[in-house]
Amino acid sequence: MTPLLEICNLSVAFRDGDENRLLLDGITVGLGQGEILGLVGESGSGKSLLCRTVMGLLPSRRLRVTAGAVRLEGRDILNDDIAAIRGRRIGMIFQNPTSHLDPVMTIGRQICEGLGRHRGLTGAAARAEAVDLLAQVGFPDPAEAFSSYAHRFSGGMRQRAMIAVALACEPEILIADEPTTALDVTIQAQILRLLMDLRDRRGLSIILITHDLGVVAQTCDRIAVMRRGQLVEVGEKRALLAAPAHAYTRQLVASHPLLSHAEAALPRHDADGAEPLFDVRGLEVAFPRGGGFLRPRRVFRALKGVSFSVRPGETVGIVGESGSGKSTFARTIMGLTRATAGDVVFAGHSLRSGRAAALKALRSEVAMVFQDPFNSLNPRMTIGQTLAEVLRDQGETPHDRIPGRIGELLDMVGLERALADRRPRSLSGGQCQRAGIARALAVNPKVIVADECVAALDVTIQAQIVALFRDLAEQQGLTLLFIAHDLAIVRNLCERVVVMHHGEIVEDGPSAEVFARPARAYTAELIAAIPDIDPDRPMGGARTNDKNDTNANNANKEELAT
Amino acid sequence: MHRYRFILLRPLQLVPVLFGISVITFVLVRLIPGDPARVLLGARATPSAIANIRAQYGLDDPIWVQYLFFLKNLAQGEMGKSVVYKIDVLRLIATRIEPTLALVVAGVVLTLIIAVPFAALSARRQGRAADQAVRLVSTAGLGFPAFWLGTMLILLFSVRLDWLPVAGYGETFSERFQHMVLPGLTIALSLSAIITRSLRAGMIAGLSSDVATAARARGMPEGVVFWRHVVPNAVVPTVNLLAVNIGWLIGGTVVVESVFAVPGLGQLMVRAIFSRDYMVVQGVALAFALATVLTNFLADILTVALDPRVEM
Amino acid sequence: MLAGGLAILGGFVALALLAPLIAPFDPILQNPEAKLLPPSWAHPFGTDNFGRDVFSRVLWGARIDLQIAVLGVVFPFLIGTGAGTVAGFFGGWVDAVLMRIIDVVLAFPFLVLMLSIIAILGPGLASFYIAMALVGWVSYARLIRAQILVLKSQDFAVAAASLGFSRLRIMFRHLLPNALAGSLVFVMSDAVLVLLNGASISYLGLGVQPPVAEWGVMVAEAQGFISQAWWITLFPGLAIVTLAFGFSLTGDALADLMGVHE
Repeated sequence: MTPLLEICNLSVAFRDGDENRLLLDGITVGLGQGEILGLVGESGSGKSLLCRTVMGLLPSRRLRVTAGAVRLEGRDILNDDIAAIRGRRIGMIFQNPTSHLDPVMTIGRQICEGLGRHRGLTGAAARAEAVDLLAQVGFPDPAEAFSSYAHRFSGGMRQRAMIAVALACEPEILIADEPTTALDVTIQAQILRLLMDLRDRRGLSIILITHDLGVVAQTCDRIAVMRRGQLVEVGEKRALLAAPAHAYTRQLVASHPLLSHAEAALPRHDADGAEPLFDVRGLEVAFPRGGGFLRPRRVFRALKGVSFSVRPGETVGIVGESGSGKSTFARTIMGLTRATAGDVVFAGHSLRSGRAAALKALRSEVAMVFQDPFNSLNPRMTIGQTLAEVLRDQGETPHDRIPGRIGELLDMVGLERALADRRPRSLSGGQCQRAGIARALAVNPKVIVADECVAALDVTIQAQIVALFRDLAEQQGLTLLFIAHDLAIVRNLCERVVVMHHGEIVEDGPSAEVFARPARAYTAELIAAIPDIDPDRPMGGARTNDKNDTNANNANKEELAT
Repeated sequence: MHRYRFILLRPLQLVPVLFGISVITFVLVRLIPGDPARVLLGARATPSAIANIRAQYGLDDPIWVQYLFFLKNLAQGEMGKSVVYKIDVLRLIATRIEPTLALVVAGVVLTLIIAVPFAALSARRQGRAADQAVRLVSTAGLGFPAFWLGTMLILLFSVRLDWLPVAGYGETFSERFQHMVLPGLTIALSLSAIITRSLRAGMIAGLSSDVATAARARGMPEGVVFWRHVVPNAVVPTVNLLAVNIGWLIGGTVVVESVFAVPGLGQLMVRAIFSRDYMVVQGVALAFALATVLTNFLADILTVALDPRVEM
Repeated sequence: MLAGGLAILGGFVALALLAPLIAPFDPILQNPEAKLLPPSWAHPFGTDNFGRDVFSRVLWGARIDLQIAVLGVVFPFLIGTGAGTVAGFFGGWVDAVLMRIIDVVLAFPFLVLMLSIIAILGPGLASFYIAMALVGWVSYARLIRAQILVLKSQDFAVAAASLGFSRLRIMFRHLLPNALAGSLVFVMSDAVLVLLNGASISYLGLGVQPPVAEWGVMVAEAQGFISQAWWITLFPGLAIVTLAFGFSLTGDALADLMGVHE
């Protein structure tokens, strides 16, 4: 059987003046009728570019197809009239539905656009069809959604809207470019399930681009692995995951944080004896939201009474979905955001009754690492200047020892000493994140608070940074508060896990126990929604959850008029 | 419709700004050295007139009482008398609004007629000769002084070609229409340089935006992508830019009216400054400020209408 | 683009400095023998109604108009940057008060407020600079404040706060240098506006006073002779357009270079 879509020896080059780089190098892969093909790779692997090339949507005029062909049912479409195929036979959805949906056009009109262009439906007929499509993709009130604008919906619902817009043209093939990367895991599970349903119901063939091996393991039939513009390996899902042939695939598989058969997390400390380092009691934080002159002032309660304590040497993972309050929690215990009620006691100093002393202690003993590697370093300062500034400010290192200390710090985080003279912009994301960790270590801290510090990194880099944290925690006896949305990473790094949801701690306990026997339904749901790299451990739940997503729009119920 | 609720609330929100405007216009005249009564009435005022104005403005009272007198007079539509024209400032201003309004409308309409097509042409042919030309001209256009541009237009269209009147305002509607072409064009050429650049930048960003990519990916032809998706999104920030520049535009009428001898508010103000007719200066400044506040309000309504995400 | 812009600006600076050496005639001395002469080898830009050499007057004008563009930007820039940084960084009532003042100043058309202030102070270049400083700072304050607000919430600023750096250090070492990048581009486009404003106010007779050679004054003086002697009007105007173009070009190039969008 010939595949529906064949990509043969496809090469794309970037040409600018004398510069000539091959971005796609002889890619050959096919997509069968009703098949889901997972296209996996890290940033810069060319997976998105490959799909744009198929759609005839090269993102720059300096890009050219230099060789190869793309055939749809045997007909070359690269040199054919792509307009007749784009949308009509091959549809596409994207990672960020917020920026891909037209903000000033109703969702209904965007669907009708395709209906009119490709199926000749206009007026009431188009409207009826559009409402039906919105119902199919899971809008609880499709008629209302028809005349609404995208910004009114949550991320998950926007992605559903984008799927409806693509389906309006009745394509045979759907290219989904990282469709769930920006979404929370429970929402991700729903969208993936929707895509699989659509395949079953409509016989849709899907190319699913993702960086997450778990996602492909759970949804795809075959996997194609890309790296630096080349297809390194392609094969049936189970065979490929069980026995990857290529070294890079093996590295990818090894880097994927495992939830199921995780290696033992750090040994649990005997935490009962020591005085708590952080003691948080009934912490509440509320932000004024909207409102203003002559308008009811609303309050968003980011934290609703959180109590917990950390003992020296503990490694604690704080997990939760977006809006759970985990980052607010980190900033509040650091004294960067003021609490509305409750107290944080650090090493015996209360942020409420002795704020100055508590802040002094916090600044010299606790350091933070941030999410966005590029943004967390001052772009105008070199890495060396950044570190020197901290060392001088802390005043514990004699001036003549500062250059030497900078070298030591860079060694500790595995950066070459020569990088001290570089600015963040000329470093990679992983290097910046290491520099950020070096800055935290420059304080010579007892505690490191890491806020989503691996979320923006590729999996292989992610694994390296997690390993670095593990080493640092073990060698230096650091206390670690590791905030993440990715439960698997926390499972591998932390001995204790705290689950947050809507500003509250819903579960707190040793990682091994929480992951094996979650006490709360929410935790169980969260764990079940993580796509496991083992295809035989299917994602759980999620189907019952559509309503949550709509309401997650959200927090409307969290807002209280005062 | 709650997004439009701000229309009702805005007048209240504007109270601080209106207060500030009244303070500034009040202080402006009081800062002039010398006896305020003499300043306001001119050198040849009669003693009885001076006594009158002292009472009316409470000039013997402390400064804040004087301010309250100023507000009270203002509330009664009493803005004093022009020394030169010998009539109420309010009535004087009323007779001068029409030409200025006509000039601003002509300027904005001509700006849109010039800017939209050129920005579209430029954006859709980015990097090619047409785009280079539009960029060059619009960048140079930023630096065209209105007084000079107006004079050159008079030289070309009135003196050399004799197509249009040199200056003034005319009596009948068609005369006035003809009289507004060159002044309007002067304003439009300067303003369209700013607007063209902004629209072009917005359109170029829009053409490579995710919204455009998504529209292409569902098979929309390039023309539809551009006019239905790119343009509406590029217009929103441009309306804001136009609003920000409205003060600049209204101020620009001062110069243009002087060049073309248009009997509007701007010309009135310049003449009043020379003749030390301070009541008029104060009144016109106040009128201009209120006009600016009003146009910004209209721009806000327009923004809310154009962009469903905006909440005021 | 940057080279072109800087070449124009450098050229004008050179002409302004060298004006006394290279100008063929005295810019102010009247010559009844040589009234309203069209451009020729002796008078490349012709002569005006007082027989003064337009070319020499344009050269000398560069001194005044460059000074207007530079001084008219410097004071507002310094005041506005200071106010905007403080307001953006500290927020609270300082910010609220400053923003209300800015709202009020912006409620007046720029030129109208300038003219009102000049009406009080009396015509002249000094009044122009004072009025510029009183009015022009608001755009810088708004711009810098907005930038500081964005930068303040970025991770590197939060990192600096979490490391216990002093407020002054965070403000001047971490926030301000990053905020200034955008305002440098704005300085260039503002120089254009200031130049046009200064020339306009002089044209209206409220700025530089005749017989001093200033481009706006020159256009104003030529007004009555537009049909007989176009050259008196054309050349000073072209000088303004070219100088402004130099500023705009430099600004555009800087914006591209630093990846700022106005």
